[in-house]
Formats: sequence, C-alpha cells, structure tokens
Amino acid sequence: MFYREAGQFKTTYISDQELFPVKQDRWGILLIIGFSFIVIPLIANDYWLQAILIPFLIFSLAALGLNILTGYAGQLSLGTGGFMAVGAYSCYKLVTIFPETNVILLILVSGFFSAGIGLIFGIPSLKIKGFYLAVATLAAQFFFEWLFGRVKWFYNYNDSGAIEVPVRKFFDIAVTGPIATAQTRYVVVLCIVTFLALIAVNIVRGRIGRAWMAIRDMDIAAELIGIRPLTTKLIAFAISSYYAGVAGALFVFAYLGSAEVEVFDINISFEILFMIIIGGLGSISGAFLGAAFIVLIPILITNLPRMLGMPINAATVEHFNFMILGALIVLFLIFEPHGLAKIWTIMREKLRVWPFPY
Amino acid sequence: MERKIGETLLGVEHISLSFGGVKALTDISFNIREKEVFAIIGPNGAGKTSMLNVINGFYHPQQGEIHFKGLHRKQMRPHEAAVQGIARTFQNVALFKGMSTLNNIMAGRNLKMKTNLFWQALYYGPARTEEMINREYVEDIIDFLEIQSIRRTPVGKLPYGLQKRVELGRALAMAPELLLLDEPMAGMNIEEKQDMCRFIIDINEQYGTTIVLIEHDMGVVMDLSERLIVLDYGRKIAEGTPDEIRGNQVVIDAYLGVAHTN
Repeated sequence: MFYREAGQFKTTYISDQELFPVKQDRWGILLIIGFSFIVIPLIANDYWLQAILIPFLIFSLAALGLNILTGYAGQLSLGTGGFMAVGAYSCYKLVTIFPETNVILLILVSGFFSAGIGLIFGIPSLKIKGFYLAVATLAAQFFFEWLFGRVKWFYNYNDSGAIEVPVRKFFDIAVTGPIATAQTRYVVVLCIVTFLALIAVNIVRGRIGRAWMAIRDMDIAAELIGIRPLTTKLIAFAISSYYAGVAGALFVFAYLGSAEVEVFDINISFEILFMIIIGGLGSISGAFLGAAFIVLIPILITNLPRMLGMPINAATVEHFNFMILGALIVLFLIFEPHGLAKIWTIMREKLRVWPFPY
Repeated sequence: MERKIGETLLGVEHISLSFGGVKALTDISFNIREKEVFAIIGPNGAGKTSMLNVINGFYHPQQGEIHFKGLHRKQMRPHEAAVQGIARTFQNVALFKGMSTLNNIMAGRNLKMKTNLFWQALYYGPARTEEMINREYVEDIIDFLEIQSIRRTPVGKLPYGLQKRVELGRALAMAPELLLLDEPMAGMNIEEKQDMCRFIIDINEQYGTTIVLIEHDMGVVMDLSERLIVLDYGRKIAEGTPDEIRGNQVVIDAYLGVAHTN
C-alpha cells in the first residue's frame, strides 16, 4: 500500500536509469546508510562491532568481488582466498616500506597488487570454462598459501611467521593496530565498503557490466556483436581480485589484527562462494545478503539454544553449523538458484500490489 | 522511399570449407550488392548456416576469399566482422537469457560505446552522456519493433516469437551495413511471420541495410528477396531472381519439388 511507484513519472532517460528509480527504495537505502554511519557507531557495543558487523562488511566486500567474477562474468573461481592473501600481504609490506603514508590509502593500493595477480590467473579463462577454470584458479589458492608461508620476506622475518598489524594513525586517531577502537575500525571498513559497492553497482549497470553478462549468458553471440572475450574476462578478473585484495587487507588490518597465512586457506574461498550462492549470483545486494546470512548463522546457532535455556557445548555448535549450512546450500541450489536477492525481488513485487494483488 | 541497388558490398570467391573429411562448402562464389535482399536457400545440411558463419568470421574456410566493402580477407575474427558492420541473428535464438530486453539491445551498442573504466565506475559525465545517447538509439529500435511493453522483462521469460524480435533488435543496434538473418521465421505462426516480413522490408528500406536471408518458407523468400542462390550438398546449384529459380529444373529436383497431382 505504501510501496507504490504510482505517480512517479519518468520523463528523461537519466531519471529512468537512476540507481533506485522507485522513490521508496531511494529513501530506504539512504536510511540504511545513514543508520549504519551514524546510529550504529553510537549504540553498538564492542561485541557487535568486532564479532558481527566488521566481519560481515569485510566478507560482503569479498563476496562482492567474487560475484563480479562468477555471478556477472560467469567465470567460476576458487582462488578468492589466495587473492585476499595477496592483498593482505602486499598491504603489510607497503605499511612496512612506507610507514608515513596513510594506511587507508595503502589498503586501497594493495588491491592493485591482487588485481595484477588476478589478471595473470585470468588468462587461462580464454580457453577453459566452468569447473576446469575453477581448478586453474585453485592453483592461485595453493600457490599463495605456500608462498606467503615459506618466503620469510613477506612477513618481515618474524619468528612467529605471522603478520602483526602496526599502529597507524589518521588525524591522531588510531585506525589500525591493537589500540584502535572497534568503532573507528568499523567506520573505516564501512566507508571503504560503501565506496567500493557504489563503484561496483555503477560498473555492472553500464557497458562493462553488460559485456560481462553477455559473455556469461552466450559467449558466441557476445563475440559476434563485437565484445572481446579475453579483454572482458580479464577486466572481470582484475576488478574482482581488486575487491578480494582490499577485503583481504581489511580482514587482517581492521579485523584480525594479526594473522598467519592459514586464515586465507581454501575454506575461506569456499565460504565466500557459498555466500554468493546463497545471496544470489549476479546481484550486488546478494553479496551483502549472503555475507550477512553466513556470518549470522553460526552466531544464531550459538546463542539461540542458550536463550532458550538449552546450553550446548561448542563442538556441537560447530557440527550443527556445518550441517545446517550444507543443507541450506543444497536447498538454495534446488529451489532458488538466484538466492536471497531473488527472494527479496519477489517480495518486492508482491509488496507493490499488496493488498490488492489483481 | 526509393531504394537503389548499388555496387557489390560483399563478394564471396571460391570458398571451400571442410571439417576433417566432411566437405561443408565447395567452391562457392557469389556477390551481394548494396541495399539488396539476398536469400540463401537449400535443403537441410546444404551448408547455408556454414556460409553465414564464414561470412562473419566464425568459420575459417580452407580456400577462397571474401571481400567486404573493398577489403579482401582470407581470415578474420568475429569481432573484426562486427567492427566492419556485419551483424547476424541465429537459427536457434542466441540471446543473453539473464538480461532484460533493454539490456540485450543495449549490449548490441557495445561497439559504439567507448568511455573508460574510470567514468564507468562513476557513472557520471561522459559515461552517462554516452549511456543516454545510446539509450535513445535503442528506444528507437524498441519502438520500431513494437516491443515497448517487454522492455524490462528478462528475455528468458519471453515467448519464442518475441525472443526472435529482440534478437533482431540486438543486431539492429549495431547499425550494421550487412545483416545476416538465419531463419528469422522458423517456428512462427502466420501473424508473427507477417510482422517479421514487415520488419525486414522496413529495415531494408528505412535503414538501407543489406540483408542476407536464410529461410525455408518459400512464399516469404520469393516475395522478399531480389536475388537468391540455392545450395545443395555444399555446392551452389543455382543463382538468380526468384522467377528464374522457380523455373529452374535442377532446383525443383533438389529442393522445391512439385505439387502432387494424383
């Protein structure tokens, strides 16, 4: 009843191609952004920020990157963890080499290193498709796990073999390192994620996004209308790896604080793949929904029995987590391959005509 | 509007194509002139679609040459054919199923759009201007093909006849000089066929596009085309105007047949 586009007339193509052509959507999204920027840092406690919101945003960013590659351009990749590791370690080296430079800038720059690596691992995509390409990207996953674990230069010859995030300040406020507050780190992550998500939305609705989807849906026809398959796929690999790289850098710098290369193992690649499958392939909002889902499910499983007065031990929670996640992935693939984003779209369509659906 | 058949636009010279030991095309030559509607007919497996695939660079013939707009070539990639102004539709619809009608046709404008990643990422300035100019062009095509109402529908959900129309729209969006239509009317009912015929005639007259048509509906072919060639087993067995072809005994034996008179 309240969600209607009646009376909102579009008289120019510019207004017709706005990001959110429906006024209610526009206000809704502004409300969410305003809420997360202003209200959440004021009211949320450290547990919420550190355990839920920061990992949610970082995983969203990584899922967004993978969704560009897999959901939009149709190139299956299992190397996300590897590309994230490249971002994290290059950020660590950059921070070591340029201690005076703003760390936020360095996080954004470190994405370019993984973009370059992504380009190289994208080259086989011209010849191989589907599962075979996934196997080729697995090479990136295992190679970088090995490289960053073995070559001491990458972790500055630490005895622990881990990278420790140093304290870096921005206008006298500690942004990274042990003394940075969860609030600060949350706001930094939120700014970067919002900015990069906006760029992703813009790219996928323009020429490049259409070229990606064309390659995904029918590569032969795409080639015949003048889309170059290799260039288009490589752009997708580069941009996707950039997002993964920045997500990896944030994962260590804004979330973990210190990390060994094991945090970027194959499990994280799969986890992010599950996020976009559950969230919705080929949808920006799907990346956020999927990340929220996968970050929240374990927390829910941990806390729900306790709230209901049925305490269960941590190991059982772990098992339940795997079982429920596995079942959900199978169910989503069968019943709604387009994921939560599609369910949201259907709900919106229903809402538009509610309460008179005829 | 007066339509003038001009000089040779596309010349095919002694093309031979084989896959392993199978000869798909043997020594085929013909010319297509500017602004004409040219048809290729023949029984199933005669090599008609292979011929189109050779013209737009998808297959590379072992022998022979093709010249388009005075440019000779032995081999080229589909992308180059698109740049030179050759567009086509497919026998079994090859649309981008997950995209809306509008986006499918907009994708056809890909070669006309040039703004770089930076502006694309901002969706502002040159990128937005370019998007609007091309949107306007695409809207003209949508009006022309009378598919306004399905602008936002994902094409995978559309009925077959409309999908064919969207595919034609996508090819038109490239503003091609040569349009290759591979059985544009296959599987359509009489009304849809009439619409499609009207579109083909209008495209030819309004945009001055040269059209190469493969079609099995002889009524349509004979009415639409100015000239046609007949293929059989990868060889050209006849070339001429519809009237000449209709009376050609070789073609009647190979393809057209005669009405039964018991």
